[in-house]
Amino acid sequence: MNDSPERKFSAIGPRGLFSSIGVIALSQLVSGHALANEPGEEQLFRAEAYDASEQRTDLAIDKTMEGSCGEGKCGEGKCGEGSCGSNMRMDELAMVMNENKDNIPKDCPQISEDIKLTVKAGREYSLGHNGTIFGFDANEWRVSPCSRITVTFINEDQVRHQWMIHGLPKYLYPQGMYHMELNGEGQVTGTFIVPSNEKNYLVHCDIAQHMEKGMKAQLVVGKGDGNLPSIPGISGAYIPPAE
Amino acid sequence: MVVVTLLAGLLGACDKATYEPYKEPPPSIKVEQGEVQAFCPETIDPTWREAQTIAGVEIQESRLCLPDNPSDIAAFVRGTNNLTMTQLMGTQLSTDALVKGRDLDGDGDPDEIHIRLEVVELNGGSPDSSDPMTTFEIAPGVKPGFWAFAPKTRGMATENFESNVANSMLRLPSPTIRVEQGDKVTITLENSHYFPHTIHLHGVDHPYVKENGEGNDGVPQTSGPMIMPGQRFSYELQPRHAGTMAYHCHVQTGAHLLMGLIGLFVIEENRPNNPVQTFNIGAGHVRHPSVAVRESYDREYDLLYIDTDTELHNIIRSSNDVRKIAKSMNREYKLSESTPDYFLLNGRSFPYTLRESIIVTAPDENVKLRILNAGTSMLALHTHGHKPTITHYDGVELAEAAQVTRDVIMVGSAQRVDLKLSTHNDGLHSYGEGIWLYHDHTELGITSNNMMPGGNIATIVYESYLSPEGMPKTQGVSLMPYFSPEYYQRKVPVWSASDPDGQLGEPQGE
Repeated sequence: MNDSPERKFSAIGPRGLFSSIGVIALSQLVSGHALANEPGEEQLFRAEAYDASEQRTDLAIDKTMEGSCGEGKCGEGKCGEGSCGSNMRMDELAMVMNENKDNIPKDCPQISEDIKLTVKAGREYSLGHNGTIFGFDANEWRVSPCSRITVTFINEDQVRHQWMIHGLPKYLYPQGMYHMELNGEGQVTGTFIVPSNEKNYLVHCDIAQHMEKGMKAQLVVGKGDGNLPSIPGISGAYIPPAE
Repeated sequence: MVVVTLLAGLLGACDKATYEPYKEPPPSIKVEQGEVQAFCPETIDPTWREAQTIAGVEIQESRLCLPDNPSDIAAFVRGTNNLTMTQLMGTQLSTDALVKGRDLDGDGDPDEIHIRLEVVELNGGSPDSSDPMTTFEIAPGVKPGFWAFAPKTRGMATENFESNVANSMLRLPSPTIRVEQGDKVTITLENSHYFPHTIHLHGVDHPYVKENGEGNDGVPQTSGPMIMPGQRFSYELQPRHAGTMAYHCHVQTGAHLLMGLIGLFVIEENRPNNPVQTFNIGAGHVRHPSVAVRESYDREYDLLYIDTDTELHNIIRSSNDVRKIAKSMNREYKLSESTPDYFLLNGRSFPYTLRESIIVTAPDENVKLRILNAGTSMLALHTHGHKPTITHYDGVELAEAAQVTRDVIMVGSAQRVDLKLSTHNDGLHSYGEGIWLYHDHTELGITSNNMMPGGNIATIVYESYLSPEGMPKTQGVSLMPYFSPEYYQRKVPVWSASDPDGQLGEPQGE
């Protein structure tokens, strides 16, 4: 669980002076001495009125949050989806939830293979799909049952994007979800393991209207169980069953 | 002789009148009202209403049905960079949504403020469903499409997995932004929407260009390019003057502003030890008012009025092709033929205004009201039971002799008015405790889909008339019929709750 993940910042981007303050402040807080500053670095403001003993000490990327929301609050949005016995790692740029590197699904005798995917997201990838505005560089990935998939998710826009997969077994992934999010341009890597059933999993970005306007895709395990609707380049709109 | 002639005429002695056979008029039928919502949904955590201090931030009591989440308020005062992980996880904000930096003038509060905003679409469409997505209901059953600015968030747009309802950060109106006079403010718009947008600071002191020469006014025709989908741009300002101002999108302004991309922008007077509540989500009650406001007022409310022509707002669901939506909105919809049919106060119509936009007060208080008319026509704001005093026009304080006290206050489009509402029972400023309506007196403003009561009706409620769950203890007709979609679909005879025999009810066969 604590292998150092392959994760790189590409350029922080033109975020300006003040976001640098934020990044530096966070790292200072990790060390527990928020008010000390290196020569030339901005000092984080801390008013006397604030409780100086409350400092963020846990922003290192491998922090695991267990049940931090208390009883009965799983998945209610207050602590973020999937918290409560799940894991999440998060920092200034990226968030990965429900990563699973070695819990083999109970219907798999072993991991069948290790697959590495690279997924790019951004407005540029909508160019091949008329009528959309955002996109992934591919709208379908094919993997084998019981494979361990390591995704490097790259955001090439200056806004938030996500790579979120639904429908995984809930005993292993809270709410059946595995989620990667980037606050802006950059990349992050995470891993999950699929069970043996041959199924099409929905993959999308959940920011309002990003899925509808191009960021919808599917992960096909084995032969899959049929295309999901409205995947750019692959399928059209959902046809509801006749009354 | 004259009398006999008259009588003969009356009795029809010459020609006999005929009549139709008696036909019994149809009976009144009971109209099914469908599901009537509760005044206050039970999902709210009642501890949110209490006065409390979180992370060193004092938060006023808020006895509304839907109070602001105190954890969010603490985050908005401290900044997302000044929270513990647990505190940040108690909100939906991204790590960089609000970064507060150094105290430049040494007066005990941060003066470098970096705000990050995104653009969210509410009640949008989907090719796979006829239901709206990421929903925000303005009145029972009413969900026209809207756009709003929102602080940068993380995770899902909906409140949880099973729900289609937008999470609490994503709503109308765009949040009130508060900064202190003299703060060095950077506002970064990260355009997460599928159309281009900008931010124009209305009434807020800002230079025409930034230090690096880039345009800073947010007007595509003069100042700089639009922020395209997927792009970000930062605006920089250090406002020299305090006051109630506004910010809004200046791309295709007639449509984008009315779609919801407008909010209050308040510059508070500079005081020591005055970290302000940078966002007031959904406007309304300010639970952590600034030091300057606390000097003269007991409570503060932000009030944003806007009107809605559902024909414009439903264009976003007419197609999933962004080009068709653009064509329909920019080149086919006619603003000159617009007929507004919903009128919102802080993003809701009556009766939902009663859940969030009640002005709660008590005797002998001074309440500060900051009003922005973001709508297309004049607002004639009337307060029952009180005559407030106008203290500021467009954020500029009026000379004392010019501060008029009256009970209908006119506010033109994009104008702001600051009011001092005194609850001193002298027969002029206040007539005493009670539940006193406040609403637009241009009668159209109190309708929803041409049904009354609706529109921007809300109430000033004295604490003695308020239940612990934020429901005004009214003594008139039941308010419950208004909490059903059928009422605003014009299906329900309006007096049915007071008319058990149906004498004014729905005649059968209509």
